[in-house]
Amino acid sequence: MITKKINKKDIRKLLGTWNQECSVIVPTREQGIVEMAGWDNKDISFLDWYRNTVVPPKACFLPQSEVMISFQKKENGLKIEVPQDEHKQIIFGIRPCDARAVAIIDQVFADTYDDYYYSSKRRNTLLIGLSCSNPYDSCFCTSTDVNPTESEDVDLMFMDIGDEYVIEEITSGGKALLNTSSMIKKATKADINKAKEVRAASVDKLKKKVDTKDVDRKLQSCFNDIDYWEQVSAKCISCGICTFLCPTCFCFDINDEMIKKHGARYRGWDSCSFRSYTKMPMENPREEKWRRVRQRVCHKFEFYPMNLGINACTGCGRCIRLCPVNWDITQVIAGLPGEISVHSGK
Amino acid sequence: MTITQIKQRKKDLDRENNVYMPHIVLVDKIIEETPSVRTIHFHFKDAKLNNEFTFESGQFAELSIFGVGEATFCISSSPTRKDHLECGINRVGLVTNALHRLGVGAEIGFRGPYGNHFPLDLMCGKNLVFIGGGIGLAPLRSLIWNVLDNRDKYGKIDIIYGARSVSDLCFKYDLDTWEEDKTLNTVITVDKGDGKWRGKEGFVSEVLRDAAPSCGNTIAIVCGPPIMIRSTFPVLEQLGFTPDQVITTLEKRMKCGIGKCGRCNIGNLYVCRDGPVFSYSRIKDFISDEY
Amino acid sequence: MWLKMFEPSGPTTCLVMKVSDMEKELRQEAGKLLEEGTVDYIIGFAPGSLKFTTTPLITEDIDEINNLVINPFINNNLAKYLPEIPGRVGIIAKGCDSRSIVSLIQDKQIARQDIVILGIPCSGLVDLKKVEKLAGKERDKIDDIVVLADKVCITAGGEKKEVPTTEVLFDHCLGCELQIPKEYDFLIQEPAAEIRDYESSSKQIQELKKMSPDQRWAFWKEQFGHCIRCYACRQVCPACFCERCFVEESQPRWVSPVSQWQDNLIFQAIRTIHVAGRCTDCGECERVCPVNIPLRSLSKEMYDLVGEMFDYKTGMDVNAPALMTAYELVEAEGLIR
Repeated sequence: MITKKINKKDIRKLLGTWNQECSVIVPTREQGIVEMAGWDNKDISFLDWYRNTVVPPKACFLPQSEVMISFQKKENGLKIEVPQDEHKQIIFGIRPCDARAVAIIDQVFADTYDDYYYSSKRRNTLLIGLSCSNPYDSCFCTSTDVNPTESEDVDLMFMDIGDEYVIEEITSGGKALLNTSSMIKKATKADINKAKEVRAASVDKLKKKVDTKDVDRKLQSCFNDIDYWEQVSAKCISCGICTFLCPTCFCFDINDEMIKKHGARYRGWDSCSFRSYTKMPMENPREEKWRRVRQRVCHKFEFYPMNLGINACTGCGRCIRLCPVNWDITQVIAGLPGEISVHSGK
Repeated sequence: MTITQIKQRKKDLDRENNVYMPHIVLVDKIIEETPSVRTIHFHFKDAKLNNEFTFESGQFAELSIFGVGEATFCISSSPTRKDHLECGINRVGLVTNALHRLGVGAEIGFRGPYGNHFPLDLMCGKNLVFIGGGIGLAPLRSLIWNVLDNRDKYGKIDIIYGARSVSDLCFKYDLDTWEEDKTLNTVITVDKGDGKWRGKEGFVSEVLRDAAPSCGNTIAIVCGPPIMIRSTFPVLEQLGFTPDQVITTLEKRMKCGIGKCGRCNIGNLYVCRDGPVFSYSRIKDFISDEY
Repeated sequence: MWLKMFEPSGPTTCLVMKVSDMEKELRQEAGKLLEEGTVDYIIGFAPGSLKFTTTPLITEDIDEINNLVINPFINNNLAKYLPEIPGRVGIIAKGCDSRSIVSLIQDKQIARQDIVILGIPCSGLVDLKKVEKLAGKERDKIDDIVVLADKVCITAGGEKKEVPTTEVLFDHCLGCELQIPKEYDFLIQEPAAEIRDYESSSKQIQELKKMSPDQRWAFWKEQFGHCIRCYACRQVCPACFCERCFVEESQPRWVSPVSQWQDNLIFQAIRTIHVAGRCTDCGECERVCPVNIPLRSLSKEMYDLVGEMFDYKTGMDVNAPALMTAYELVEAEGLIR
């Protein structure tokens, strides 16, 4: 429920206040691409028209590469250390699709064994959502049960209503962030009405739609339809763009490095699109491209629902608009043998 | 303790409980099994862990050489023999090559045990047929010694083991012991003998067909390269084994060992977390044939 | 010429586009090839799912032939697919694609007799990043892009802007050396508009050359700090056809699998050297990079070096030996000391 608001010109001040207590991560524009990065009092007026980051915010918890263990060869043996990363951070400006994605991979990293590296960053992070009223033509979040202006997966939810942001307080942690600031005002009835209009208009702007109901069942039934998978995978070039830039893809690799006496064990993103991903010395269960493409689709829409009861796609559209060959997952879902309809954003 | 101290203590505990943090083990002994396989015996550097550490036959661990990397190995010693742990290492890649360069006394990383294990409770009171190929004897061996150390709990035991050539036979000292053990029926085969070889020749699946163990009240445990597993299942079916009576352990490329890094999945199952031990009936229900 | 397909009146985006004569001719020919069983597959371009995009079409289905399009957004280098597609293949080729095809034949990755080349003349492809900059709007907010030979009309948000075509074509197109394929089995007989701007084509490289080595080093350090090692540059490159890439080799390990700017840079540097003599300056590596690393500055520089040192142009002559397989004694003098 919307309760508070803040004038846009006070936003930098608010971020500045937070920045004294912890690190504030905001969308940052560099060489034409927008990434989540530490805020250094830079101008953030582009948030008015910016759409989404190229690299999804998952990178704040599962960086492209990170040190797991560092080691040092000493005369009396090896000195092994785990880096301590417990600093508090606030991620400001996360979109509802990406916030949902974070909620989805939270489950993976907490499942059975707690993942120290992910959890230590995640539990020290507050997410501040920013509603989205300017979707790309590749976005289809409303088809994946995400509302571009609402989110329960964040601590605070901001919504742009013109000169002001109205704020929903979702968690107590989020609420506490607002308590100390005099810039936060109570939202009026008029603000709430304005927000309603913005909400309706924003949802309306999402033209690309795909019916994701029953997709898991359909995937089950066509899992062994090799002709279909060969046909849809034909143009895929097996690069890592769709997986690396997917906000719910979490696969990683672990590798060691040692230079002279110093070394570290790193983990970094890996991709099921790569042939080397499953390669064993004697054989490779996913040697063929169609198997790798099938894995990606089925992981998102079949295996995930089976294991955790939710589709691992939030409709952010990155995999479509950044794909070198315009491989469009909505077309693949819609084209599954059996009838599911798709409306393109044209 | 103040609240800050308590918080700090909790953080430290989290760090200490970090599942990716390996324990240090020391290599006690190295046995060269074949030109490409060696077994290393090791124990924990931390004496307390030597007493506390428990595992079950069929479970695996991540061994690592710091600065080179981690790799997955099943524990090939039996939990009934606690003085040390053993892993069989087939030299195939970066880490296994490095493990082959190690000497006695080396310190390596160990984390685990991970995965499920052979269902000993289900096997209790039954006849057992162990079918192994090549380095696939490693997980099987943990189970065989486990069973032999409680011999009276089980019925008739057959061991059928094969390798490509005589020099590829692993754990020859165990094979000798088992062949001499009158309470077992041990059959060893090689794909092609070397002239001096007096044992059987032929693939494991063929030898199994000839040996024709009875399926009544019996569990078959199969472990070996995928090609052997795939050729063995039909033979067992012909011999009257139902899919529930056949158990195997699968090998996949793994990194984390704990169901997070993603690569070892077969359909919705992760071999590291939901396996590596599966009954054939479960495998038959797999969504995917990617094993 | 694009002129033919993009009539000045009426909306003419690639999505709602009149079928041009060129397309008609192409579809007819491609359809015939499939129908008569001359080829098993046709590789071409179909409309993409997003505005101003196209997508590779790989099909054995005659009904899909009517999806084949020719427009200024057909940017994939389809030669990439040839080594992996079995049987006989009919491939639609722009000049640059044909050079990659020839290069693959020279390198014995494909056999000439298995390929039917359907050549199309190309007047250059539209770089959407340039259009976005000019229009001040992102791709999907642009209403229309009409290419009229030497002028381009961009409509966005009710505003119409006319700019010289040289301002919107890809850098590599501005320096194109082969607009009409030399090697083909069938050619659409149309002239291509000669739109060139050699200076702009290598502007970025010239700027880099003006830098001091330290500045240049800092530049690439920054650039490769963004690299996510998705290998799209390698995967999209027809010259990168190795079964096993050095990046994935662990014994010895040439490049660390850990993404760090140093290793990212080394990866690209080695890749650039590996494709020397095979690179046709098709610009795909730079186009697909999701983090906008100006990769063509490396590949084009290497391309020019190959030209200068060996007087060699990749993929121009199907009967010539591939550069790296042709050795002349005189060459060793400068290379090996």
